[in-house]
This record gives sequence, structure tokens and C-alpha cells, in this order.
Amino acid sequence: MVGFLARHEWKLLTASAVMRLVLIVFFLVIGAATLLGTARAARERQTYDVFQQRAAQQRAQPLSLRADVVANEKGWLAVVPPAPLAALAVGQSDVYPSYLRITARNLDALVTGDQIEHPLAVASGHLDLAFVVLFLYPLLIFAVSFDLTATERDRGTLRMVLAQPVSLREVVAGKMIARVVLLAIPIAVIPVVIGSVWFATAEFVVWTVAVLVYGLIWHGLALIVNARGWSAPANALVLAGVWLMFAIVGPATINLLIAVRYPMPSRVEAAVQARAATQDATLQGSRQLGQFLQDHPTSANVGRDGMRQFALLQARRDQQVADRLQRVEAAFDAQLERQQRLAGWLSVLSPTMVMQDVLLDVAGTSANRFEHFRAAAEAFQHEWQQYFEPRVLDAATLTPGDIAAAPVLAYSPEPATAILMRTALPIAGMLIVGLLLLLSGFKVYERYSL
Amino acid sequence: MSGGGSAALAIAAKDATETWRDGRFRWAAGLLFVLLVAAIAGGVQYQRDVARQHADAQRAERDAWLDKGDMNPHAAAHYGAFVFKPVQPLSAIEPGLDPFLGVFVFLEAHKQQLARHRPIEDASPTRRLGLLTPATAALVLLPLLVISLTFSTFAGERDQGTLRPLLALGVSRGSLLAGKALGALLPLVLIITPATLVAAVLLYLSAPADPGAPIGARAFGLLAVYVVHAMIWTGLGLAISARARSQATALVVLLALWFANAFVMPPVAMAIAKTITPSPSAIEFAAAIEDEKDTWPNWDQRVDEVMQRFLDGEFESTFTPANVEVVALVESEAAETALYDRHFQSLFDRYERQGRTYEHASIVAPTVAARMLSMALAGTDAAHDRVFAAAAATYRTQMLTTLNSELSQSGRLNTFDYVRGRDLWEQVPPFDYDVPAAGWALGERWWSIAVLVAWLAGVSAAAAWSVASMRLE
Repeated sequence: MVGFLARHEWKLLTASAVMRLVLIVFFLVIGAATLLGTARAARERQTYDVFQQRAAQQRAQPLSLRADVVANEKGWLAVVPPAPLAALAVGQSDVYPSYLRITARNLDALVTGDQIEHPLAVASGHLDLAFVVLFLYPLLIFAVSFDLTATERDRGTLRMVLAQPVSLREVVAGKMIARVVLLAIPIAVIPVVIGSVWFATAEFVVWTVAVLVYGLIWHGLALIVNARGWSAPANALVLAGVWLMFAIVGPATINLLIAVRYPMPSRVEAAVQARAATQDATLQGSRQLGQFLQDHPTSANVGRDGMRQFALLQARRDQQVADRLQRVEAAFDAQLERQQRLAGWLSVLSPTMVMQDVLLDVAGTSANRFEHFRAAAEAFQHEWQQYFEPRVLDAATLTPGDIAAAPVLAYSPEPATAILMRTALPIAGMLIVGLLLLLSGFKVYERYSL
Repeated sequence: MSGGGSAALAIAAKDATETWRDGRFRWAAGLLFVLLVAAIAGGVQYQRDVARQHADAQRAERDAWLDKGDMNPHAAAHYGAFVFKPVQPLSAIEPGLDPFLGVFVFLEAHKQQLARHRPIEDASPTRRLGLLTPATAALVLLPLLVISLTFSTFAGERDQGTLRPLLALGVSRGSLLAGKALGALLPLVLIITPATLVAAVLLYLSAPADPGAPIGARAFGLLAVYVVHAMIWTGLGLAISARARSQATALVVLLALWFANAFVMPPVAMAIAKTITPSPSAIEFAAAIEDEKDTWPNWDQRVDEVMQRFLDGEFESTFTPANVEVVALVESEAAETALYDRHFQSLFDRYERQGRTYEHASIVAPTVAARMLSMALAGTDAAHDRVFAAAAATYRTQMLTTLNSELSQSGRLNTFDYVRGRDLWEQVPPFDYDVPAAGWALGERWWSIAVLVAWLAGVSAAAAWSVASMRLE
């Protein structure tokens, strides 16, 4: 019976001119977002390929065979590979490092190349599928369901329908099912059609499940508002307010609360502390190095012994500075982690914030994927340093064979299961909230006055 | 005229009173007011904390520079200097691009860097969903209240059949529009005025003892932008309410326009701007600089080449061979500075063109123009950042010139043994950055001003035309 009602409702929905307009706009926006995202991801992929090739060429034909030039001045360029679902959500990929330069030094072992983009572009956000899912999808859920039964009740047709052997619960369930399916299909299908590359990957399955679960929350909210028995315009106004509070004002207010109550540790203060902590070691080391040697060792006037001595002094100084720097950085990182944990708890209050975290994690444009890459790069740095440090200290000239035998970074991205493990809890949480909302919606509908 | 005027005032008074008595409006307005005050208080506190951090850091950095002991002037150039971006007082109202821009620059020999550590990098991704700031409350939330005040103005009276009797009383359509417009604006004044007072008092209390630049003109400009923006939405609401088939249609159309203005246009405009003027990614930018450096002679070759010029008699006779290295250093430093300047200028030029395209898109989205002006007046936009970056680059050149010329004038045989102390470090003045005047900021954003004025005129005309030609039932 519910199936029949849902099919009937489907016909009514798809026959309505207004609904068609709403759906066409929805299709267009999803399409545009997917195209923009795919183009962006293609560009990223292309840049990645170009620089992988370039790095391979430079290893085959190095500019210099001096060990410190190969190991430190050029180093290893580790480009962060684009994530498989990067086309779906730009996330933080416009500010996080897009590459790391790895050297054999103790200091500046990993130099991050933060992504650069017009600050206005970062501030404006991106029209990607994540944006559509987070903001537009809930709005459209409300747009198609603000008048589940109000107008039919006011016209008296609902009473006639209920004269048939169906219950109000079944009628409402049929209407809900038709609406859930109607909106879920384009948002799940269009990205696959336009960017068919990532169809059926595990990540995409998680993405789709998360989207459907997120939708349930908003359908549930719509159901509860409808069940209150107000008129259709009143429902529309209340739902607009609900959307505004949960999707826009809520996250913005929570972010304000976080900024004021749990401010991020100051990078500025950390920079001053790092300067103070390393000052002695830097100055002492510099004096030992000799003023000229520190910056401009010319092979002509110091000879190889001089070069060796210089390299050793420099390595010792770098070690001392790096040790002190590490303490400051570790303190900063611990403080930042504490702040993010507290901030994370507050964001549970908004489904949009929870969902945003999940989507970026699945798309591979959140901190997690980058941290994973960084850990791999750090492990590789140790290999690189172990291989090159003795040769640098020896002021050696390398042979092409030495360079060919140097370690190579082989990065395999995080397995999908790791992402699944991280996102399972928030998705399950959203599912429970969504189901509870739907259940209470039906519960309230029991007292619906015809 | 006076008859029309008094009718308009009567309508305005009646509408404003009704609005004020409406429980829903009081809730919405009350909530908006609370959010606005919370945003102002939060913004002022945050701004004060960050401003203090930056000022303290700049002082500590200056002390470290002066107390770093005796060393070779070129070693001092490698020691370098941190320059922290001064925080603008009005960033409490409109943080603008501050969270998306680096907070300090490290100035050193041989290299130039972009400002580092954008706060957004350290924030959790949910921060990207937006922050409640007074500017956001004024430009995004206030229009919603305006919409709720205006969507039913004419459409509602028509739906209820009271529009025709009202005009039958002899009220002209012009007075009707004036009355309705005033009736919608009066409740807004009741929110904007106390919020402005709160902001003014908090900003005054948190102002540093020694303000870098007077902010009165800029603050007044901000208020004007927010008021004009609210007036544009009022006109839009009235025009659409007069034309719409029903009040429900008017509401839906206005909400769609609001959503497009606040959330869809900014990313779309930027996507267009980036298509027209592509900008390099971080790795492309870095590689372009590195590739050019790779074609340069290395240090030994540079010294040999200067030595050859010395032997050819290019320099004065007092010139000792040791100074050859100083000449090579000064020349390579000049070449490096030129290289970085060229690449940075090219990047900033591209960003500026992207920004202009983005701004041009505001012709269809007045909220975009208002936002551009808001950031410009608060001193938190890309144009101000570029001025700061230029000031930092100039300071770097100044610092290096002071240190290098000391080396070349030392007249010593072995220049790099040469050690100097505090008296030389004091010759490098502390970094001083003057925020450009408000007039400059407005001149940069003349397009946005024109767009806002044109929109205000346009919606006024549209409202007048819509009311003059509106159906009565």
C-alpha cells in the first residue's frame, strides 16, 4: 500500500511545474558543481604528473653532482597526490601544503609548500558538490516537503483520501518515500554520470551513504514541522528558519564561540618563542662556522678539508637548533590538538558541521589525508638523510650510480577502510538522529487534526 | 504634498507598529540583535587579543634584532627579521580576508617569501562554513529580516483584499510606497542604532592608547555601506512584493535572490575570475623561480667574473681583491631581489585581476559589492594586504642595503671577518607600516561604490514602477 502511495505521489511530484523547475535548478547546480570540481581535480592531477616527471628527469640529469646540492639544495620534491574524490569537495586543499621539499638536513628537513590561491577565493568557498550537499540539498528537501498534507487538509481532500482503507501514517509514509527518492537520485547519480572515473570506489559508497543519511535528518525535521498541523505558508516560514539556524547561523555561531572561547594557539607567539629558543644555538654555531663560511663556502679557497669541516660544523649547529625548535613546535602542536578536540565537540551541535567533516575526510581534502602523507614523507626523510648525510659530511662528489641508488619515495595512500573507520561513528550518529527525527515526526502526526 | 506626506507617515506608523506588535518579528529581530551584539563583542575581544600578540611579537623581535650581539653584517642579513602584520581595529567588525592571509613575513638575505601561517590552515575544516561576524550579520542576516518585513507589504494586502480599499481612500500610490518603505525601515533603525552604539562603545574601549590611524571615517563608511545595502534589499522586497502573484511567491523569489547573492555568486564569480586569469599553484610558482635561478652562474663563477672585471680595471684603484666578494654579493642580492619582485608582482597582478573580475560580477549581486567595500573600509581586503607586502619588501631592501653597504665601505682586506654590533643594528629602523587613507581604499573600490549606488537607484525606480503598475487584486 505504501509502495502504491509512493508511486502515486511520485507522479504528482514530477507532474508539477513548480517542482520541475526546482528539480531542473537542482540538476543544473549539481552538474555545474561536478564539472567545476572535475576540472579542478584534472588540473591538480596534471600538475602532479608534470612535477613527478620533472623530478624524475632531474634525478636522471642532476645540475650538480655535489652531495649537498643533490641532497639539500634540490632535495626530494614530494608532491601530494590528488585524492580520488577530490573533484567532489575542494575542502582545505586550497590552503594545505601541496608539496613538501625533503632534504638531508636536520633543520628544514621538510619544507612545506603551502598551496597558494587568491585569499578571496578561499574566503568565498567553492561551488563544489560538498557545498550542494551541505546547503542546497537541505533547502530543497524543505522546498519539496513544506506542504506534505497542509493544503490537502485545508481543501478537505485529505479527509476523502482517508475514507479509503489507508491510514494517515501510510499516506504520509508514501509521500515521504517519494520525496526522499526524488532528491536522493540526482545527488547520488549525476556525479557518477559526469565524472564516471570514481564510480563504485569504496570512498564513493561511503560518500553516497553519508549523503543519504544527512538527507534523513532534514527529511525528519520537515516531517516534524508538517506534523504540527500549521498552514503550508507557515510551514515554509518555519522550515526556512530551521534551515537558517542549522545550516548557516548555527555553524557561524559555533565558530564564533570556538574563536573566542577556545582560540587557536598563536602562530605569532610561537614564532617569537622559536626565535628565542634557537637564538643561542644559532649565534654560537654561526660564530664557530666563521662568518664567511656560514653563507658562502667557495670550494676554491677552502679546499675539501675545509668543506668537510664546514659541513660538520653546520650539521652540528643545525642539530642543536632543530632540537630546540622541535620543543617549541611540539608544544604548539599539542595546544592546537587540544583546541581542535574542544572545537570538535562543539561542532557536534550542527549536522552541517558533522557532515562537512565527513565529506572532506571521504573526499581526501581534510587534514587526515595530508597528515598521512606527511607521516610517510617524514619516514622517507630519515632514509634520505641516512643515505646522504655521510656523503654531505664528506663533501663528496656523487656518481650517477650514487644518485640512482638513492632512496625513492613510494607513497601508497590511506586505505579506504581507515576512512570508513573514522567516518563510521559520525555517520551512525547522523543515522540515529535522522531516524529518531522521522519516528518522532510520525509520532506527532498521530495527533494531526483534519 | 503635505497631504501625501502625512498619509505616507500614517501608513509607515501603522506598519511599523504592526510589525513591532508581531510576536514573530520581535523574536526574529531580538535574535538578530543578540547575534549582532555577540558578534561585535566576540569580534572586539578576538581583535584585541590578536592585536596585542602582534604588537608584543614585533617588540620582542626588535629587541632580539638589537641584542643579537656582534656579528658580520651579512650574517645579520641571514639572521633576518620577522615582520608581523598589524591588526586593523575595524577587523573586529569585518575580519574580511585576515583569516585567509599570512600573519607574518620573514625577511632575509637572498630569498623573499609570501606571508606565512594563514589562520585558516590551523582551524578545523568546519571553520570554512563561515564565522559569525558583525559584517556577516549585517550583510547576510539583516537582509533576511528585511525580506521578512517586506515580502507581504503589497502582496499580503492584495491577498487579503485590503489594497483596493486603501487606495480608494485617496492615498496616492507614491505616498503608499513611501509609507510602506518607511514602515519597513523604521524597525530596522531600531536594531541598527543600538547595535552601532554598542559597537562604537566597545571599539572605543578596546582602542589602543596609540592608534595607528584614525578610524572614524572608515567606521562611518562601514555603517553607510550596511545601511545602503539594507535599503537596497528593502527596495527589492517592495518591488517584488508589488509584482508577485501572491505573498508566497514573493517570499520564495526573495529568498532565492538572497541565497544566490550571499552563497552562490561569490564562488561562481571567483570560478569565472580564475578561468579568465589563471594563477599558478604553489609548486608552479616556486618552480618558476627556481628554474630561473638554475640558469644563473654559481657563487664561485660570480666571484671569478667580478675578479675578471677588477683585473680589467673596471673598479677604482682603492678596491682590494677581498671586496670583489662584496661586489659579487651585492650584485647577486640585487639580481635575487629583482627576480623575486618580478614573480611576486606578477602573482599579485594576477590576483588583482581576479579580484577585479570578481568585483565586476557584483553588478548582478549587490551583496558582493557591499562585501568588497566592507572589507576595503575595514582594511582587511587584498588591496591592503598588497600594500603591506610592498612595505615589507621595501623594508627588506632597506635592511639589506644598510648591511651590505656597511660591508663594502668597511675598507677592510678580509671583509667577511668584519664584525659589527648594536650600533649598526640600530641603523636599521624598526618596521613601520602606515595604513593607507580611507580615500585610497574607496578609490580602489570605485566599481563597488558605483554598483551599490546604481542598485539603490535601480531598486527605487523598480519599486516605484512596480507600485505604479501593480494589480490591485
